[in-house]
Amino acid sequence: MKLKKLFNILRPPSYWLFYVNLLIAFFLGIFIYSIYVSNAVSYLSDDPKTCVNCHVMRSEFATWQHSSHREVATCNDCHVPHNNVLNKYYFKAKDGLRHATMFTLRMEPQVIKMHEAGKAVVQKNCQNCHQKINEEVGLLNITLEDKQHGKGKLCWDCHREVPHGRVKGLDSTPNAKVPLPGSPIPEFIRNLNTNKK
Amino acid sequence: MNTIRRSVQAKPWLGWILFIITAIIVFGLGLLTSSIIERRTEAQYLDQKKVEIREFEPRNIVWGQNYPKEYETYMATRDTSFMSKYNGNAHIDQLEQFPALVILWAGYGFSKDYNQPKGHVYAVNDIYKTLRTGAPSGTGDEPMPATCWTCKSPDVPRLMNEIGVKEFYMGKWSRHGEEIVNPIGCADCHNEKTMDLQISRPALIEAFERQGKDISQATHQEMRTLVCAQCHVEYYFNKEKPFEGVPYLTFPWDNGTSVEEVESYYDVINFSDWTHQLSKAPMIKAQHPGYEIFQTGIHARRGVACADCHMPYKSEGGVKFTDHKIQSPLNNIANSCQVCHRESEEELTNSVYENMDRVLEIRGDLEHLLVKTHLEAEFVWKLGATEEQMKDALMDIRHAQWRWDYAAASHGGAFHAPVETLRIISTCIQLANDARLKMTGIAYELGHRGEIPVADVSTKSKAQAYIGLDMDKLIAEKKHFLETMVPAWREEAKKREEAMPQYDLNVKKVSFK
Repeated sequence: MKLKKLFNILRPPSYWLFYVNLLIAFFLGIFIYSIYVSNAVSYLSDDPKTCVNCHVMRSEFATWQHSSHREVATCNDCHVPHNNVLNKYYFKAKDGLRHATMFTLRMEPQVIKMHEAGKAVVQKNCQNCHQKINEEVGLLNITLEDKQHGKGKLCWDCHREVPHGRVKGLDSTPNAKVPLPGSPIPEFIRNLNTNKK
Repeated sequence: MNTIRRSVQAKPWLGWILFIITAIIVFGLGLLTSSIIERRTEAQYLDQKKVEIREFEPRNIVWGQNYPKEYETYMATRDTSFMSKYNGNAHIDQLEQFPALVILWAGYGFSKDYNQPKGHVYAVNDIYKTLRTGAPSGTGDEPMPATCWTCKSPDVPRLMNEIGVKEFYMGKWSRHGEEIVNPIGCADCHNEKTMDLQISRPALIEAFERQGKDISQATHQEMRTLVCAQCHVEYYFNKEKPFEGVPYLTFPWDNGTSVEEVESYYDVINFSDWTHQLSKAPMIKAQHPGYEIFQTGIHARRGVACADCHMPYKSEGGVKFTDHKIQSPLNNIANSCQVCHRESEEELTNSVYENMDRVLEIRGDLEHLLVKTHLEAEFVWKLGATEEQMKDALMDIRHAQWRWDYAAASHGGAFHAPVETLRIISTCIQLANDARLKMTGIAYELGHRGEIPVADVSTKSKAQAYIGLDMDKLIAEKKHFLETMVPAWREEAKKREEAMPQYDLNVKKVSFK
C-alpha cells in the first residue's frame, strides 16, 4: 500500500506522462552508457587489467608485471582484504569509489601512495602468503597499528623494492606496454570507412 | 499529502522547478560521462611521439627519436668487454678454443670460421666478416644462399614486403648486399605504431600453423619469448617445399621440439646439411635451439620469458624502462636474477658456473669421442669398407653429432635446462660408442687388428691442415671482398636510404665501426 501511495505522489500529471517516460529513458540511456564506457562491470573481477582502466595506474601495472609477484599475486591479492567476501567487496567499493572520484575530478597526485586503510590491508596480505616467514621470524606479526605505536616496521619499510620499486610516479614507466582500454567505439564502426575502399 | 500532480496543477511554477532540477542532473551526468570518455581517450594518446615511424622502417635511429633510452641501451650491445667463465660478448675464436670442432664440421663452412656470438648491433658486420660467407665477387660463385640474411636485419621484413618472401629466399647471399645494412633492431620485434611486440618474419608463424597453433593468440608475456624465437631456434632450408629449388627457411617442429622429435623429422624427409668429409656420414647441423631447450627448463615452467632476464627493467633518473642491451644476465644479476632470487651475486654466479662446469666437462669428453669416431670411420673407409657395411655406423654418427650440436649450439643450454642438456649429451655418448663398436667390427673383418690409429688434430691449424683447408687463401679472398664489395654495397645502400624520408635526427647518434 505504501509503495502505491509513494507512486501516486510521484506520478506526474497525465498530460506529462509521455514526456516523463522519454526523459526517464534518456536518463537510463546515459546511465547505461556511462557504465559501458567506464568498464564498470570489470570492477567485480580480480583481473589486473581492470586496474589499468585508469591509465594513471600504468606504472603500478608495469612494475608488477616485471616483478616476481607477477607469477603468484594479482593486484587484488594484495590490495583488498580477504578475511571474508563481504568485506572484500565493501573495501573494493569504498576504495574504488574514492579512486573513481579522484580520477574523474583530476585530483590524482603525481606520486600515488597508499593511505592508511590500504596499508593495513596490504600488510595483512603479505602475512597471509608469507606465513612461514611469520612463524620463523617472530618479528613479522606487526600490524599497521603496531607500527603507529612504534612497535615495529611494516614489511615494505625494509623490502622497499617489493614489488613496484622505489621509483614511483605517474610518468615513471613512460613506454610500458600495459593493456590500457582501447577505443570504446565498436570495431565495425571504426572500420566502416576502411572497408569501403 | 498531496500528489505531485496536484501540487503542480495548483502551482505551475513547481513544475518548472522540477524541470530545471532534472535538466541540471542530466547535465551533471553528461559531464561525468564525458569526463570518463576523456580520461579513457587520454590513455590512447599517452605516448605522443616526435616522429611518425613508417611501416617497415629499418633505420634504428629513426625509432631512437621516439625512444632514446631504449635506443641508447640497444646501441650498448656494441660492448665487447664482458667475459663470463665460458661465454660473454667478446670476440672469441671458438675453433682456436675447441679445435675438435674443425674435425666435427669437416666439409662444412663452420670448420673455416666460428666465433662466439656478439651483440645484435654486430649482426650485419659480422656476417660480412665470417669466412663462412666466402668472398662473393658477383659471379655467383659463393657458398651461401640469400636465405642467410633472414635473421640479420630489420631490412629483411622490409625487403620481403617489397619483393615477396619467395623472391627474398631465392639466389645467392650477395644478392641482397645492397639492401641489407641495418643490424637487428627495432622493427624486428616491434609494431611501428603501437610498439606492440610482433612477429616480423614468416618462419615462426608457419611453424606454429603446421602445429595447429595460432601465434596471433599469444599473450604479451608469451610474445616476450616468441619474438626471440624467430631466430634463436633450430631451422633448416627446405629446398623442396613450399617452392621447388628455393631454400625456404623452415623450423622442423612438426613432430615437436625435443631433440629426438626433430631428429625423426629430418630422418623421415631424409635431410642432411652436408656429407662429412672424413666419415662420409650424412650430417645435420644443429643451429641454435635456444628457445627449444629453454622450454624444457625450470624458468620456462615458471612463466619466465627471455626478456625477463635478458632485457630486465632498468631505472634511470625517475624513469623505468626495458633495458635493450640484450646480453648475458650474468652481466646484470641485480636487475635480472635478483628480481626473484634473494641470494648474493656471487652465490648466483657460482651456481650458474657449477652447472656450466658440469655440462662443459662432459661435452668436452663427447667432442673428443666424436673426433675419434670420424677419424676411425675415415680409416675404415680406407681399409676398403663398403657403403652397405658402413650404413648403420654412419647413421649413429649422424645422430650422435646432431644431438651433440643441439646441446652445444643452444647457447645458454647449460643454464636454461642443465638436466635436459646433459640427458642429450649422454645419449650421444651411447650413439658414438655404438658407431665405434660397429666400425671396429668392420675393421676386423677387413683384416685390421688392434686399435685404430688417429692423427694429431689437437690445434685449430693442425686440424684445418688435416682436412685440407687453405686458410691463407680464404683469408686473403675475404680481405679483398671486405675492401671492395662491402664498401660498394654500403655506398648503394646509402643512396637508397637517402631517398627515404629524412628526419631531423637530434638524438645523439651512437656510431661504431
